[in-house]
Amino acid sequence: METVISVRNLVNRFGDYTVHDGLSLDVGRDEIMGVVGGSGTGKSVLLRSILGLQKPVSGSITVLGQTIEYQKPGPSRCWGVLFQNGALLSGLTVQENVELPIALHSDMPVETRHELASLKLLMSGLSLSVADKYPSELSGGMRKRVSLARAMALEPKILFLDEPTAGLDPIAATEFDELITYLHDNLDLTVMMITHDVDSLFGICDRIAVLVDGGVVVGTIDEILELDHPWIKSYFGVPRAVRARNAQIGRQHE
Amino acid sequence: MSGWDTGQLSMNSTYLSTESQPQRLDVNVRGLWVFDNVLALENATASVLPEPGQEVRFQCAGLEEIDIAGAWVLYDRTQQLAELGIKSELTGFQAAHFKFLQHIIDAAAVREYEAPPEHPEQPKPVRDALENLGRATSSHIEDLGEIAHSILDGVRRPSLIIVGETLKQLYLTGVQAIPVVMVITFLIGVVLAYQAAGQLEQFGANVLVVDLVSISITREMGVLLAAVMVAGRSGSAFAAALGTMKLNEEVDALRVMGLNPNQILIIPRILGLVIALPILTIFADFAGILGGALIAVGTMGIGVRQFIERVAYSVDVADFYVGLIKAPFFAFLIAAIGTLRGMQVQSSAEELGLKTTTAVVQSIFLIIVADAFFTMLFSRIGF
Repeated sequence: METVISVRNLVNRFGDYTVHDGLSLDVGRDEIMGVVGGSGTGKSVLLRSILGLQKPVSGSITVLGQTIEYQKPGPSRCWGVLFQNGALLSGLTVQENVELPIALHSDMPVETRHELASLKLLMSGLSLSVADKYPSELSGGMRKRVSLARAMALEPKILFLDEPTAGLDPIAATEFDELITYLHDNLDLTVMMITHDVDSLFGICDRIAVLVDGGVVVGTIDEILELDHPWIKSYFGVPRAVRARNAQIGRQHE
Repeated sequence: MSGWDTGQLSMNSTYLSTESQPQRLDVNVRGLWVFDNVLALENATASVLPEPGQEVRFQCAGLEEIDIAGAWVLYDRTQQLAELGIKSELTGFQAAHFKFLQHIIDAAAVREYEAPPEHPEQPKPVRDALENLGRATSSHIEDLGEIAHSILDGVRRPSLIIVGETLKQLYLTGVQAIPVVMVITFLIGVVLAYQAAGQLEQFGANVLVVDLVSISITREMGVLLAAVMVAGRSGSAFAAALGTMKLNEEVDALRVMGLNPNQILIIPRILGLVIALPILTIFADFAGILGGALIAVGTMGIGVRQFIERVAYSVDVADFYVGLIKAPFFAFLIAAIGTLRGMQVQSSAEELGLKTTTAVVQSIFLIIVADAFFTMLFSRIGF
């Protein structure tokens, strides 16, 4: 398997509190990797480290062969990021938000840029009637879709998602999962998603990375479920996780 | 090459080559049809121009790589040709992109509805201007009501929280502003003395420099400079702080916790500034006269003792009060406008910047207007 994201011996510390203690993780090409962990285990810190937004104490990270350095330009042409609250620029319309990365990275004519941005909005399941609205006029779910359209604007090879379904109603969350699967199946796309949505974990993730004890345990769902770690046991032992698991098994048998 | 007999190779580029058949234009698509090459791809596809009566067939088997952007260019060209009444087809397509694209566009077509036609309106400059004037006036009246409402709401059930917050604001807006206000008025004192010296020396009235500096500083310049400085420093801070709190839903959070945001955010700021600005004015007066003294004593041969006596002779206590009495009014204007503009922020960072600017500009404007009003009032009543 070709590795697109490689994290080696990552150490992150805030004051005396060590978040990551020599964490190593590989994400392979074309897989959907789910990242879970309790509060304070550094899911977002891991993501921010990979994106070069967080300066690790030590360790090295490479994405698509490029070494990531803090606040240095990374492979921004090849990745798209969906931040937890969308992080849309409030002063720009939906259309302009999606066009921005295209305008920054390409010299294509304005008209083509416009059409491609519209296409990305459609791909994210939005109607073009929202194109001229401002982010503040949209609902939370729509904002996430716009943010996804922006993340997809440059035909990224890797998509980072930070709790994409948090705050969405079950219908919207399911639709979002389907959308991610659909994009993943149709495009050559690697997805790394932080999520607490057990339905997403069981439903769409190929492998799961569980952040525990400053490190990480990676495996397919079946492998993770067989581990004898107290936190993992309790996380996947809660009723909603069990229900989601049963639903997944049910789908497999159909 | 078999195509030589029946057709002719007419065009060639990195991305496609065309081969003209009697009834058909064969386009062999090849290379990297990806985002980075969109400009070149557009130019290449635009050059695909069939003769009348020809159909276009895009042969896609030779594609090395394609992404959504590349697929879009190809798809877009087929649509353009269709609009010109030319039939075109895509063959040998390996990647799923085109199907994907078709799916998206079909799905969108179902969801899209016709946008209502727009009626271009005739420009009506006079009516528009009057409408804007009316709107601006009513919005200012609304602002006034809003300020009054939040202040009354804030003082309705006073609690002890106000005291602590007020002291904090007093420190932030008053104590911390002392150095900068003193430096500014000191320099203005120097400037005033210099300017006056040049003129008054011609008449041998050197000593009147002291009168001019001390009276203008105490009556006008001290309070005005302090107020303008505070408007820039604290008025903007109020608007930005409250605006950010609104955006983060902190104001709503206070409300649902049973705290009155008007009470703990607005009242302490107004009270703090109303107390702080008169104190700052005293410091400003002192520093301004000191600046005048530096010039008078240093360059004009007026003795220190003579300077002090002259100040005591020329400046009436009333002059000092004239300046000081304006301070609380100015402070109220700055704090009320700053907090109101902050509270008016609803949705975006852009708006926050706009409201902060408005807060500073309006408060400085209103300070000057109020000052003019006070000056006229005091001269009428002979104060």
